[in-house]
Amino acid sequence: MKRGNKAWSWFLMILGILYFFLPLVATFVFSLKAKLGVLSFKAYANVFNDPAFVYNFSASVLWAVLTIVVGILLFVPTAYLIRLRVPKLRSAVEFITLLPFVVPAIVFVFGLVRTFSQPPLLIVNSPVLLIAGYTVLSMPYMYRAVDTGLRAIDVRTLTEAAQSLGAGWGAILFDIILPNIRVAILSGAFLSFAIVIGEYILAQYLAKPAFAPYMAYQIQQKAYEPAAMAILSFALTWAAMGIIDLVGRGRGQAPVGGGH
Amino acid sequence: MTHLSLVNICKQFAGISAVCDFNLNVEKGEFVSFLGPSGCGKTTTLRMIAGFEVPTTGQVTIDNIDITNKAPNQRNVGMVFQAYALFPNMTVAQNIGYGLRIRKESNAAIKERVAEMLALIHLEKKGNSYPHQLSGGQQQRVALARALAIRPQVLLLDEPLSALDAKIRVTLRAEIRAIQRKLGITAIYVTHDQEEALSISDRIVVMYEGKIEQVGSPFEIYNFPKTAFVASFVGTLNTATAEVVDPVNRLIAMDGIQLQSAEGMDDMQKGDKVSIAIRPERLSFAAQEKKANVLDCKIENITFLGSVVRIQVLIGNTHFYMDTFNNPFLELPKIGDKDQVTCSREAVLVLKA
Repeated sequence: MKRGNKAWSWFLMILGILYFFLPLVATFVFSLKAKLGVLSFKAYANVFNDPAFVYNFSASVLWAVLTIVVGILLFVPTAYLIRLRVPKLRSAVEFITLLPFVVPAIVFVFGLVRTFSQPPLLIVNSPVLLIAGYTVLSMPYMYRAVDTGLRAIDVRTLTEAAQSLGAGWGAILFDIILPNIRVAILSGAFLSFAIVIGEYILAQYLAKPAFAPYMAYQIQQKAYEPAAMAILSFALTWAAMGIIDLVGRGRGQAPVGGGH
Repeated sequence: MTHLSLVNICKQFAGISAVCDFNLNVEKGEFVSFLGPSGCGKTTTLRMIAGFEVPTTGQVTIDNIDITNKAPNQRNVGMVFQAYALFPNMTVAQNIGYGLRIRKESNAAIKERVAEMLALIHLEKKGNSYPHQLSGGQQQRVALARALAIRPQVLLLDEPLSALDAKIRVTLRAEIRAIQRKLGITAIYVTHDQEEALSISDRIVVMYEGKIEQVGSPFEIYNFPKTAFVASFVGTLNTATAEVVDPVNRLIAMDGIQLQSAEGMDDMQKGDKVSIAIRPERLSFAAQEKKANVLDCKIENITFLGSVVRIQVLIGNTHFYMDTFNNPFLELPKIGDKDQVTCSREAVLVLKA
């Protein structure tokens, strides 16, 4: 009976691995076939030599960095103050942060276009709207990562300890809170980075240069290069995940209370 | 001269009174403990001194300067928390020097003060350690050093030893008291542990349901409790209801057994119901020495507590505890024996309900 269970476990695991990795391996192998008859990295070389790729990818990286900065500035103080001052609002705010999962991106982008293409805030052509949109899309990841980080420390007591030593709000936030949720912020930042790099609808409909719309355009024009870009995109996301894991490993929060 | 003063302090949370009519003057260099059960308002009062809570009414002054509405970071008050609250991202030295860095003191001055504080808490070699690398007792000593480094006018300690084990608690409380005496700093100490309060304080403020029950030295609080609550909360106490028999001669009767007290009963009438209390250590066997009150009893139980032997006796219809020092040559009675216990007139306390 037990042996049978084990065999089933192996079978299901192998099935799962095949389901996830087979298309990826196939795409990778396909991306190597740009040169007739041999496997080569020609498609990758073509991608990197295309100035449009560099331009669009750089733009996406810029949007991602700006989104992360805005996200940190917006969500760290918000989550901190909610934990410290209005903990009753936590569940309501958590619900709000999940809205980007509920509202389809296409609905969201049309809402943005409709609202901000007329006075008083005519910013539909500005990158500000794109960054704001990305910040909203990355909110579930960034806010929840920060909130989880704050949960691991005794925010109230640390704040009061710093206050009793003469620290103001700025010093408390930058000297005490931010360094102690660094790992959580990094997790949120890398997840936001991955989201922004792979996001298509917002950049496409707000007509801004970005990696995903460029890749979609390339799919219609070429065969091997989009496959190479898909692999690059996966590699980038995995690298982000790997960095989160590396930074987070063994650097958990020291307990605020309790000795050993 | 009064250093810290709390005048008519009241604090309400959503209409519910947490602290009421709190008045206290603390002298410079005095060590005062707030003692009481959970929810009695002792921590709330401490937090009002620290500035984390604003009194609903009343005034807090330090050196005659009103600080009632000052923000916590504008008061020069050091605080030690139950949970240590050391900053996990900073080393011990950085933790101790943080308040000085906020005050923009020079690096040399910070370094010198940190070294001084590390020597004070005997952790000279731990300056570069992180809080999680220290034991609980060491962490709390660092928290104390951090609070003292800023040279506060008043040091507040909120149950600083309750997260530590019993042995470290005893050593550390002696250390806290020695440091406080050495620096001559005014300290307010919150605890629910009566032994801690009795051993460490110049004065104790016993609180119950947001109000002060009694303020006095540990000796006064233990030996002359003014209310039934203080008597029952501080130490073990035998209590019983009794009736005034002769207020002039201070005679009372408990289950028909007559007792004489040393306490004044001028405001009482014959037949008044009162509550009496006798500490277990004030009772002894009459066979050894007869005092003013000699009472027949029956031995009900004998418990060995190490240095003390606690004997439960039945006097009339009331169960009493009697404590006697342990002595290897002590001849203990047997359970069920009939005997006589005795106590002085001063041992019989007549309490306000």
